[in-house]
Amino acid sequence: MLQESRVNVLSVKQISIQKPLTEEWMTNPEIHTENFVRAIDPDFRQFISAGDARRLGKLLKRALATSLSALHEGGITNPDAIITGTGFGSVESTELFLEAMIRDGEQMLKPTWFMQSTHNTASSLIAIHTQSYGYNSTYTQKGLSFECALYDAWLQFGLGRISSALVGGHDEMTPEFAGFMRKAGHLLEGEICSEAAVSALLSTREQEGTKALCTVAGVEVLDSPDAETLDHAVRSMIAGNIPDAVLTGMSGNATNDGYYHFLKKTLPEVPLLRYKHLFGVNFSSSAIAFYAAANCLGKGFIPPVLTLTGESVSCSKGILLINAVEGRHYSVILLKPLCGKL
Amino acid sequence: MAQNRSVSITGFGIVSAIGVGKQETLDSLLSNRTGIGRLKYLKTVHTEFPVGEVKLSDEEMERILGIAPGTPATRTALMGMLALHEALSDACLGRGDLLQAAFLNGTTVGGMDKSEQYYTDFIENDTRNEYIKSHDCGSCSEMTADRFGRFRYITTISTACSSAANAIALGGDMIRAGRADIVVAGGSECITKFHLNGFNSLMILDRELCRPFDVTRAGLNLGEGAAYLVLESDESVRKRGVKPIALLSGYGNACDAYHQTASSPDGEGAYLAMSRALADAGLAPADIDYVNAHGTGTPNNDVSESQAMIRLFGENMPPVSSVKSMTGHTTSASGSVEAAICILALRNGFVPVNYGWTNPMDDGIVPNMELKPSCRLRNILCNAFGFGGNDSSLILTATD
Repeated sequence: MLQESRVNVLSVKQISIQKPLTEEWMTNPEIHTENFVRAIDPDFRQFISAGDARRLGKLLKRALATSLSALHEGGITNPDAIITGTGFGSVESTELFLEAMIRDGEQMLKPTWFMQSTHNTASSLIAIHTQSYGYNSTYTQKGLSFECALYDAWLQFGLGRISSALVGGHDEMTPEFAGFMRKAGHLLEGEICSEAAVSALLSTREQEGTKALCTVAGVEVLDSPDAETLDHAVRSMIAGNIPDAVLTGMSGNATNDGYYHFLKKTLPEVPLLRYKHLFGVNFSSSAIAFYAAANCLGKGFIPPVLTLTGESVSCSKGILLINAVEGRHYSVILLKPLCGKL
Repeated sequence: MAQNRSVSITGFGIVSAIGVGKQETLDSLLSNRTGIGRLKYLKTVHTEFPVGEVKLSDEEMERILGIAPGTPATRTALMGMLALHEALSDACLGRGDLLQAAFLNGTTVGGMDKSEQYYTDFIENDTRNEYIKSHDCGSCSEMTADRFGRFRYITTISTACSSAANAIALGGDMIRAGRADIVVAGGSECITKFHLNGFNSLMILDRELCRPFDVTRAGLNLGEGAAYLVLESDESVRKRGVKPIALLSGYGNACDAYHQTASSPDGEGAYLAMSRALADAGLAPADIDYVNAHGTGTPNNDVSESQAMIRLFGENMPPVSSVKSMTGHTTSASGSVEAAICILALRNGFVPVNYGWTNPMDDGIVPNMELKPSCRLRNILCNAFGFGGNDSSLILTATD
């Protein structure tokens, strides 16, 4: 059975269509109105060599930057586990290799594009950079890729195998793949196609000199749950303690937002929050939700930019994260404050 | 801790170049028949490379599965469906059972076979949008699973050539942690032009039949296939009244942390993965009766893996072989394809042969070349290593 050890979130870092590696968006967000917006990149040279900055694709550079930044802030150099979620992987390298193969024929293709195209390059590159020989894995399940990675980390903590984990959610986009997202119905009318890179450092130990943001109290990922199963999953996770708010993946698209209507019945009094209007939509959006909620709990308040009413909400009991993908897959994550009542 | 660590395996299904289903696979293994040959199904200019293709066209697989012509299906999903069908029937699982079960799938190419075929359409028109939908690996898992019903949890692991092994290990963890009673885990991967050219650009494909652990080896032969194991908790085994056919007694995952595609010369990641699997199973190296090596036939892998095995087993090296000499390298599916072959070896008491090997390496292991029939195997160590140093080992154990 799972052990009872508290899993702390020591740090979470993001590169997205908001200012990178900062929580400035909480008070002063970038407002985007275009259909497709690429991430705002930091100066990568503070994290990696000039050679790597040239050689590596955007997803990999961002994964390294958010990871190294999260590790630095959390005071851990070699996490016991490195687990990444990515829905599409390095699409830029994939596209370059694929296009060259179609355009120029099957000769003289660049190995670099192929090497960077596999989904596990982020996890392995982070391991190479940090010399981490521990547990290393990569998940890819559309818009739930991050939760699948988090679920694995949760299991490894529960089985007592690890005491720290770097869990990431990384997706990059190209104009072509942004078009594919819409054609495949992964992106709906009115949703901004974006990019995201999130790295979260989790630990069962409190690091000396650093204060954790919050704790992870539960992770559940469900395929095709019926209404009763979904209701039960939420209720059993909160165990009678009503959270301060529910952070949803509502995007303003009526079909998508309908997937969250069950919350009116399951948690009628709890304010709903949103983040996709600020961060857009991609396969790693849910990693952004985790990042946003963890940082709200770390600061003790939910900024008005996330609420539907435009008023800020205090947070002392916890934030529930619900992600619904295509009305089929659901994830339920509960984050609690360090010394809260929950 | 050692108590109740083993997870029961109550069924499996397998498809590869050496057979569709476990009977054909067993027959090929016992008669030393390789499935590697000239390209037949993949459309590519690189006909110089021998490959281990599954001996069925997409249309033939659709016919066997009863899929209506014109229904969008990728080759990876079709092979996956064949293997999943066999695994579910073998374990006597019906639609109702799946509702509380997990499906853990390993793949890296996903729907790339169709994407590389229709990429221009993807960009220019809307005629192939259904294949954009099936491009990503997660959709490929769903396409495979949905044919048989809905699972409680579906996820896709993509750690390159160790994907299916890691899916099996995750299944073990979910059962040990009490998060699932029944898990169907493995992987599927078809050969695509994309990764045939990718491996070619890395210059690790052999133009001859591959010869793992042979000093003249020049690379791997790509293969394809799918296999799934049904893992089950003791309670579920009792409740359903099924009989375990083997046990998953341990597994280890490590990162070589050395290079994006190459393995470290000393095989640190491979050594760690194997050692962790032994520790996890509570076994000593001397308890291993056979090692199903990753043994791709690339100069780099076979040195690295040999060094790791020599470090782990020393003078007492158990029989070792790489079945990639017969199946080709089934990449993301290799972990489960070879775990399934290990179960066949356990059940039928034989050590598979390292087909095509002749000349020993200076610093390598000497693989098993004699089909040893009627031997009693108790524990098999099965390796699956991937690009990026994603190294994993599984230990499969005979039931008493």
